[in-house]
Amino acid sequence: MPPTDIFTLEVLRDYLLIGAALFALGILGFLSRRNLIVMFLSAEMMLQGVALTLVGFGRYHGNWTGQILTIMILTVAACEASIALALIVILYNRRSSLDVTLWQEIREAGVPATPASLISEEAEPVDAAPGPESYPHLTPAGVEPAHPVEPWIERRS
Amino acid sequence: MDVILNFIGSVLGMTGTYAVLFGGLGTYLLLPHRHGAIRPRAAHGAGLIAVALGLLIYMTYWRPPGLLLPAVFLYVFGATSVIGAVLTITSRDPVASALWFASVVLSTAGLFLLAEAPFLAAGTIIVYAGAVIVTFLFVIMLAQMEGKADYDRAARSPGWATLTSFIILWCLLASIATLKTGEKVGTGIHHLARNRLEPEKQLLRSRDLEAYIGSPDANMTGVVRRAVSPMSLVADARLAEGEAADNPEATSVLVHRPNVAGIAASMYTDHLASVAIAGALLFVALVGAVAITNPRMPVRPSSSDPAQRAAVGSVRP
Repeated sequence: MPPTDIFTLEVLRDYLLIGAALFALGILGFLSRRNLIVMFLSAEMMLQGVALTLVGFGRYHGNWTGQILTIMILTVAACEASIALALIVILYNRRSSLDVTLWQEIREAGVPATPASLISEEAEPVDAAPGPESYPHLTPAGVEPAHPVEPWIERRS
Repeated sequence: MDVILNFIGSVLGMTGTYAVLFGGLGTYLLLPHRHGAIRPRAAHGAGLIAVALGLLIYMTYWRPPGLLLPAVFLYVFGATSVIGAVLTITSRDPVASALWFASVVLSTAGLFLLAEAPFLAAGTIIVYAGAVIVTFLFVIMLAQMEGKADYDRAARSPGWATLTSFIILWCLLASIATLKTGEKVGTGIHHLARNRLEPEKQLLRSRDLEAYIGSPDANMTGVVRRAVSPMSLVADARLAEGEAADNPEATSVLVHRPNVAGIAASMYTDHLASVAIAGALLFVALVGAVAITNPRMPVRPSSSDPAQRAAVGSVRP
């Protein structure tokens, strides 16, 4: 008689369902978000969903292949992250923005462009925090030292 | 016409449809974009409630493993990872997105532990939470606008994107939920003639495949033996204490191999080519990242004159 295993088909199904949910949400994030960083996080999340599925299948079938494929996924994810972050830094230096729609001139032929005016129209209004702004009042103490007043730039333009 | 009506009826009869509907509605409300006259705070509250409802219905598909503690941890880690995923893709702040993604990674590592993959759990935490998230945070700090940017508050056609991805989720759910979990498949020679021609009653484990096909069919057994190499097995089936070796009904027990040693043994024998390819991929990515981050000034055909090229080079910041 073959030995019984506590990792039954029902438990495998749990792993497949969680992996499917992560994969679908990753697709949604990649399709709909416009921040380059969030898009790449969504791509990583799809990889996590696939890794979960692979580990579940490997455990169910009782061999190491799923775990080894997941290690390969980790490798691919590390490569992807390094290249993606290098690209993000370069793209940010060119346009000073992480918006992916600024790069829509490299889209495929025949795809309509999204006008830039849509961005501010569709943007969600910012909720101001309720109540008046209040800051603590600090009484100055001691003698103010002489210091040169020089303008400084927080960020490069 | 009847076919279509039947299809709609079976779709509406499936519990998962409502999970997908509520989840999709909630995610749509949570995604950053203008919801007409509805205040953002109200939309977020309604979206969170809908997502929670959808997740609860989705969780009715999960079946707990036999023991109590793994069951509790499975539900906790699963719910955390799905909620973290929703919040990753709907946060307005990229830093918050990265931190929610870290929670997804941590709970995935917990699920890996439950599936008896401790090396992979540790590796995932080290690689993702330790390296990828920190690098992401570096880039976010490097390239972050002050305040909340316009593009973080406006999703790109959120309705269509939600529809697409949740239709994919529904299809995956419908195909996974119909996995046959029915009666056990018989193994051994005496089931051979019956089982071969019928479709399988449930998903076979690959380690039972050889016994399922049976010994008389030597060709297929050879194929299976090559596909499922003994080096890649997680556990060896041994006879239980006091069982006779010639008894076909003898109970056997699984003796697990050590995790890291087993992975290494399988990786460097069965999957040696993949290791070489992964190494090559890492090397190419290294070269690519270095080449991308330090772009050279393009040498135009007109500036073939060395003096002019030197001048162009000195202009370069």
